[in-house]
Amino acid sequence: MIQTLTYRKNKTQNLILGLLGSALMVVVVISLSLGAFHIPVYNVLGVLMDTIGLGITDFSPQQSNVLLHIRLPRIVMAILVGGGLGITGAALQGLFRNPLVEPGLIGVSSGGALFAVIFIVFGSGFPVLSYFGGIGLPLFAFIGGLINTSLVYKLSSSAGKTNISLLILAGVALNALSGALIGLVIFYADDAALRNFTFWSLGDVGGANWDKVGIAFLLISGPAILVTSQFKNLNALSIGENEAFHMGVDVQKVKYILLFSSALIVGTAVSLTGTIGFVGLIVPHLIRMMFGADHRLVLAGSFLLGACLLTIADLLARTIVMPSEMPIGIITAIIGAPFFIWLIINVKKIRS
Amino acid sequence: MLQANDIHFCIRNMPIVDQASVSLAPGELTVILGPNGAGKSTLFKILSGEIPCKYGNVAYNGSPITGFSPKNLALVRAVMPQHSYLSFPFKALEVVELGLLSGGNSFRQDLVEEVMTETHTWHLKDKLYGNLSGGEKQRVQLARVLTQIWDKKPFPRYLLLDEPTSSMDIALQHHVLKIIHKIKKRNIGVLAILHDLNLAANYADKVILLKKGRILYQGAVKDVMTATNLEKIFEHPIQVFSGSEDSPIIIQSIPFIQNHLETKLA
Repeated sequence: MIQTLTYRKNKTQNLILGLLGSALMVVVVISLSLGAFHIPVYNVLGVLMDTIGLGITDFSPQQSNVLLHIRLPRIVMAILVGGGLGITGAALQGLFRNPLVEPGLIGVSSGGALFAVIFIVFGSGFPVLSYFGGIGLPLFAFIGGLINTSLVYKLSSSAGKTNISLLILAGVALNALSGALIGLVIFYADDAALRNFTFWSLGDVGGANWDKVGIAFLLISGPAILVTSQFKNLNALSIGENEAFHMGVDVQKVKYILLFSSALIVGTAVSLTGTIGFVGLIVPHLIRMMFGADHRLVLAGSFLLGACLLTIADLLARTIVMPSEMPIGIITAIIGAPFFIWLIINVKKIRS
Repeated sequence: MLQANDIHFCIRNMPIVDQASVSLAPGELTVILGPNGAGKSTLFKILSGEIPCKYGNVAYNGSPITGFSPKNLALVRAVMPQHSYLSFPFKALEVVELGLLSGGNSFRQDLVEEVMTETHTWHLKDKLYGNLSGGEKQRVQLARVLTQIWDKKPFPRYLLLDEPTSSMDIALQHHVLKIIHKIKKRNIGVLAILHDLNLAANYADKVILLKKGRILYQGAVKDVMTATNLEKIFEHPIQVFSGSEDSPIIIQSIPFIQNHLETKLA
């Protein structure tokens, strides 16, 4: 009986994930079509079909160029970064057993940003670092994210229990410290480094090219799959760390997997696209409110919905003030901040 | 057999549990009794493996607890905490299904339904855990931990319960102890911390009386739960009316003020 129940539940969840996936496809096609240079959906599909060897419709070389070299990479980047932030938010909320946690709040983003700035400003002084090539910046940002996350976790936990108010305080403190250190590094930067930094800090998904997308794919999809595989353990952790241990979960190992993966995902995202707030906070919430708390759905669903939302945000960013572009972080914050306020007001209701 | 020898646990050189030795046999309900701060919870946590013990040793079915992985330990014993708070909107059924985690994917089809029917929680399965009453939550948690060790295995299993009846009304308390009485027959040894002396006296097979970290008395109910012993443990006058074939044991703590009428008039 119960297995049929579970089976039916899994089937419903797969259906929901399928719908979210289809929604993402639709958003991607629309997003590919719209922009400063309009390409009709008909031609968009034509170009996409042609790349996989099924030339069925005509399109101009200009359309193909804009699509494949400008629009597609940035949209794939938005999918990877948005999905990565969504799934990281879901994983960290589950790990800290708190629905208000997001990558930015506990210092992953600011730690990643600090180390990215250090790499940009001082990196040229160390020829060794150039050995890493394009992967050096994301890796460095990952280390920064990991350091901050571990510090926040250590500061707010005693005897294996995480104190949530301490966690928020530690996050605020480390964010402030990272911000100050970023300022300090900029103070010592020379003109060339400063220019690089400015480009990076303004850098949104618009700076994407296929090389960057490749790096993002390597460093985000792997950890994202690893995080998704932990859904049962995250469900057990929702009752509490001790309870999860009693149920047979190696809690410490799960913590390390989740913190390490989150730092890698957010570090990569920050280093490639700058800090994009609120996606990691609101996306898991929307999924839970709509479809329940089972992490089997929440993790994968947060990836898909995060990808959707960031693709839409990117579309807005480059169409609202055409032909100029608005930084994508502004869009997510304008949508996200009021939602966060609503969340604070309603958190009691949600918890009960 | 769940065996603990010479457990010693200190916090800042203050002994919380002092030279305690306990053995828990399958098929028996052992109840830990003692005043607040006696070290009941600490002893409980050491036995469950939650706190590693520096001095002394704990062994499940003859194997030292240090050799168990969390997963293997979960196959041998289940633990029900005093309070469980969920931060996300899970349904009662989803909470109970968590008990299947240690068993992998090879669970019996109707296991969860059987346990939930046994604990009178099947009708709650589609409700959100957060919307349940305190007693319902505890029964759902009980169903979860029972699911973990319900099915018979070639080795005895153990169930550790920290105040399983604390937010239940009288009828539910007896109902839970009836369930515990039933599951003992599944080759399960049960250890429970209880505050209610009457429940302990009438359902337990063995009693452990703990005070200031030391086990002062342990053994069968009729030998251990005497008025003298209980008064010494709780530092309060207590009367024990020993039961017979057809009447239960009744334990009464004596009020400081004997004449209620007098205080009401005063």
